[in-house]
Amino acid sequence: MNEKILLEAVVLAGEIMLVSGAEVYRVEDTMNHMLRRSSYETTETVVFSTGIFVTLDDPVKEPMTLIKRTPGRSTNINRIYLVNEISRSFCRGDITVEEAYEKLKETATVIQYGPWLRALGLVGVPFCFAPIFGGNFLECVASGLVGIALAFADRIVKKVRLNDFCINAFCAFSVAVVALMIKNWLWQKTSVDVLIISSIMPLVPGVTFTTAIRDTLNGDYTSGSARMLEAVVTSLAVAAGVGGGMFLFQFLWGGILW
Amino acid sequence: MVMQILSVCVAIFLFSAVLEVPRRHLFFAAAMGGVCWWVYVLILKEWESSMSAAFLSTLVVAVLSHILARVRKAPVTVFLVPGILPSVPGAAIYRCVYYLIRNASQVSTHYLVETLQIAGAIAMAIFITDSFFRLFLAYHVKKGDLAGKR
Repeated sequence: MNEKILLEAVVLAGEIMLVSGAEVYRVEDTMNHMLRRSSYETTETVVFSTGIFVTLDDPVKEPMTLIKRTPGRSTNINRIYLVNEISRSFCRGDITVEEAYEKLKETATVIQYGPWLRALGLVGVPFCFAPIFGGNFLECVASGLVGIALAFADRIVKKVRLNDFCINAFCAFSVAVVALMIKNWLWQKTSVDVLIISSIMPLVPGVTFTTAIRDTLNGDYTSGSARMLEAVVTSLAVAAGVGGGMFLFQFLWGGILW
Repeated sequence: MVMQILSVCVAIFLFSAVLEVPRRHLFFAAAMGGVCWWVYVLILKEWESSMSAAFLSTLVVAVLSHILARVRKAPVTVFLVPGILPSVPGAAIYRCVYYLIRNASQVSTHYLVETLQIAGAIAMAIFITDSFFRLFLAYHVKKGDLAGKR
């Protein structure tokens, strides 16, 4: 077996899982399972939420180490699922390490639902989440309209390559502005709070925060605190975007200027 | 309430397009969200505590996810993440930071505590279920009837 390719494949598998939002212990577990097929005596994996370290060592061979920094993350359950499938069939011996590496490379960029389905999701989620926050039917429709703004903002920031903070802040900003427009000019009876909260549901880091606590409970303190910070920064971006949008709307149309 | 649960199911179904849930498991993922909200609303009405509501709804979802994951041969995450979405404290964490930058620190602290309570309850429920299933599996692997599975 070519250990060099195995090492690359293992690190790639870990990177895809980590970036897609899997828990640290699951990432390490998958990587260790794959590494069991190597001929090296000791294998060690260390996964932090911002980087992966793998090293192979043996009394008679040269040690090998690979380090990978993992920037940029967004939940993608399909990729976790596919990596899991590949690692299982590799561990069973159904595919060779070269085949596994090729498949993993494909998995790293696979997108299951096209941009239109994603946009449909971003419009539909606010529509369906409004009742949970106490919205009536009119507020559902209004939230759907705000969701359209969110989908547009999402398409725009996908084209312009920005960092996560700016992406979330911009999306939240457009949500706030459109929600206030609807409230002030279209349906005065709607509650801005319901519109904004249900529309930012796809942006807020609820799952990240929960995963952070789970990592911490599992003893991965570094990743746990890093994820917790990530959740705080994301919600800061969302809150700053909403706050900025509200301020701008009041400044322009709230009677401060004229 | 039925309307609410149905709307949560549809919401999670549509959310799956954003989270990229595998197509084969879409319906089960959406059903998980519905189950979660159903238990959540029931407990909230009975005990009026959002913490126990989040804990018990996640416990149910986590156990079902583990069973489904074994039946349908997929990682637990596929069902777990869509399942906990309705009860996860997304709105609370946003409100906490929002009131912080609006300089209303008392309201902000209230939501911070709520976030920590709910997220802690959810994480606890998942952690307990995970540990339980690991124990259960370890026992069976030792006996040899589930060897090779993980």
